[in-house]
Amino acid sequence: MKRRTLIAGAAALGATPLAAPRAQKPVTIRWWYHFDDPKATPDELVATFEKANPGIKIQAENIPWGGGGDYDTRLYTSLIAGNGPDTGMVKFNNLARLMEMEALSPLDKWIDGWAAKSDISADMWRLHAAPDGKRYYMPLQYVVLYLYVRLDLLQKAGVKPPTNFEDFLTAAKATTGGEQWGFGMRGGSGGHDSWMPFVFGTGARPVKGGFVSPQALAQNRYFIDLYRTHKVCPPSAPTDGFLQIVNNLKASRTAMAVHHITTANDMNAAFGDSITAIPVPRGPGNNGFATFGDGSNAVFSASKNQEAAWRWVSWLSEAPNNVLYNKAAGQMTVTTSGAANWTLHPRRFVEATTQSLAIANVLPSVPAAADFTRTAWPQNTQKALLGQIGPDEMMQNFEKLFFG
Amino acid sequence: MVSIRRWATPWLFLAPALLVTALIVLLPVANALWLSLHDVVLFRPKVRPFIGLANYVRALGDPVFWESLRHSIVWVVAAVSLQFAVGFAGALLLNRTFAWRGIARALIVVPWALPSVIIGLIWTWMLDFNLGVLNVLGVRLGLLSASVPWLAQLDTAMAGVILAIVWQGFPFFAITLLAGLQAIPDEHYEAAEIDGAGMVQQFWHITVPGLAEVIVTSLLLRMIWVANSLDLILVMTGGGPGTATQTLPLHAFLTAWSGGNYGQGSALAVILTLVLLGIVGIMLWRRRET
Repeated sequence: MKRRTLIAGAAALGATPLAAPRAQKPVTIRWWYHFDDPKATPDELVATFEKANPGIKIQAENIPWGGGGDYDTRLYTSLIAGNGPDTGMVKFNNLARLMEMEALSPLDKWIDGWAAKSDISADMWRLHAAPDGKRYYMPLQYVVLYLYVRLDLLQKAGVKPPTNFEDFLTAAKATTGGEQWGFGMRGGSGGHDSWMPFVFGTGARPVKGGFVSPQALAQNRYFIDLYRTHKVCPPSAPTDGFLQIVNNLKASRTAMAVHHITTANDMNAAFGDSITAIPVPRGPGNNGFATFGDGSNAVFSASKNQEAAWRWVSWLSEAPNNVLYNKAAGQMTVTTSGAANWTLHPRRFVEATTQSLAIANVLPSVPAAADFTRTAWPQNTQKALLGQIGPDEMMQNFEKLFFG
Repeated sequence: MVSIRRWATPWLFLAPALLVTALIVLLPVANALWLSLHDVVLFRPKVRPFIGLANYVRALGDPVFWESLRHSIVWVVAAVSLQFAVGFAGALLLNRTFAWRGIARALIVVPWALPSVIIGLIWTWMLDFNLGVLNVLGVRLGLLSASVPWLAQLDTAMAGVILAIVWQGFPFFAITLLAGLQAIPDEHYEAAEIDGAGMVQQFWHITVPGLAEVIVTSLLLRMIWVANSLDLILVMTGGGPGTATQTLPLHAFLTAWSGGNYGQGSALAVILTLVLLGIVGIMLWRRRET
């Protein structure tokens, strides 16, 4: 009897709030990330989050990017092997593949109850919707491609910054001569981002039948002719990549190039007010297509701590934290309040980015998207630029790749 | 009992090495064969049906396969023969006595010791249209009328990547053949000289036969390495422009790694292995015959 009383008493004591608190083992969330700048680190963000959320430890793992291919393949294989992270950075071009793997956890119920939801614009949420209508990706960072224009070179040639394709060609021709070319075309890896504004800029869209629509075919001929017929691009354009187009612009070898805000500070330092950014040219009727460069977080369905993972990714997308995050990432904050007081890039480049958001668009979310960006686009475009295939055949190949 | 022990003892000594070989060579090869017979797509992990030889049939029916095979032949023949020629010349030079020979022998290994990725980047920038030192020198010396986009043109891209691998690989021949040259007794040359043989005759009748074994072995090894290598091309051109520098291993790599199609990629890798085995078999058979 005495013994039973003692046990009952001990149990009751243990259950009272006055009992000494038992130390809860914190939940560890593995988060995969990548920054373009190898010196950048999320340590400060992690420390701030962990201080505010003592029950959650963040294990941030920096994964090699390798043009996206390395990161994606590592992600797929780790998820298949059952050793994937709880959450990680993802891109639109692998959304369809991750959906097919059933690797993503829908975020809708959390997003709908999230206090900071309205600080992310409707355009941003539109772009982040999956083909099945659900939301698997949480906006984290973004860029929208715009047109860099060397105002001094254009002024010298007597032309104005172009807003439509006719003026673009006029400006490119006027600024071409000797060792200078009007347009720094990117035919190498990653060039699809700067090709899409041209091809879909007059109303065609990258949907079924869109690649072979009359507008898209005509615009693709226009794009290929910039190199082949008008010769307003450097001869190395078929294989030029990021470094070449940026260096050529900085060396005054080209007058215009399509890129985004991550290079704005560099350009501003090199040329000051002589360089600006404007939205990419549009076709008649104000149709336009500005490529949206996304960066999101996803919570993976295999995670045993999805709630804690969501707290981390949603915290990263709240205004002050997202601004701090993008300071390291070098991209734009996805928050409206953060963008209003943005000081990390000169204002004119921020405005060119935010103005382009309304016409921002992405590739269709199909499994072939990743293969298109890494292999099919450079191979076919280079062949068309070098005359091995015609521009229409190039578009037919893309239509077949995406939609069979 | 004694005979069993005698039979088993060497196998017991060999067992650790055989086990390691089985784990790191045979098992992956068997896995590649298994993958090549199945429809294995990385992002469809739950469905991996057996499809027999369909991956092989699809590979052989793809014009890109034949184009890649053609490029592989050009790549291997040009790269290995040029490496051999430059390496042989280097070995003959380093075998002579001259000042600072020790330093020259040490320095010649540098290209061989550098990682392929570094070499790829070095040559990419040296051949660059805008900033490349070769274009700048060519124009200033009057050899070129204007800069040439070496890696962006169909007719020069392959030559550009071959130039890079020749620079990387010639030290292997130089060092290997130098070791072979040093093994040829000086008495042979002295006797030939007394008999009135000139330099060319000594080269053809003493040097070349004396190096025959080394030449065959080094050619065989280098041919296999070059045929399998894709890192240099991947870094310099990614197989482009278009598919102008895409070789068979790069085609297999892009199919598996970028496209996520491991079944098709494995079939391409198995075909490459069979082609190489065939060539090596013929070379060894010819060698035995002669």
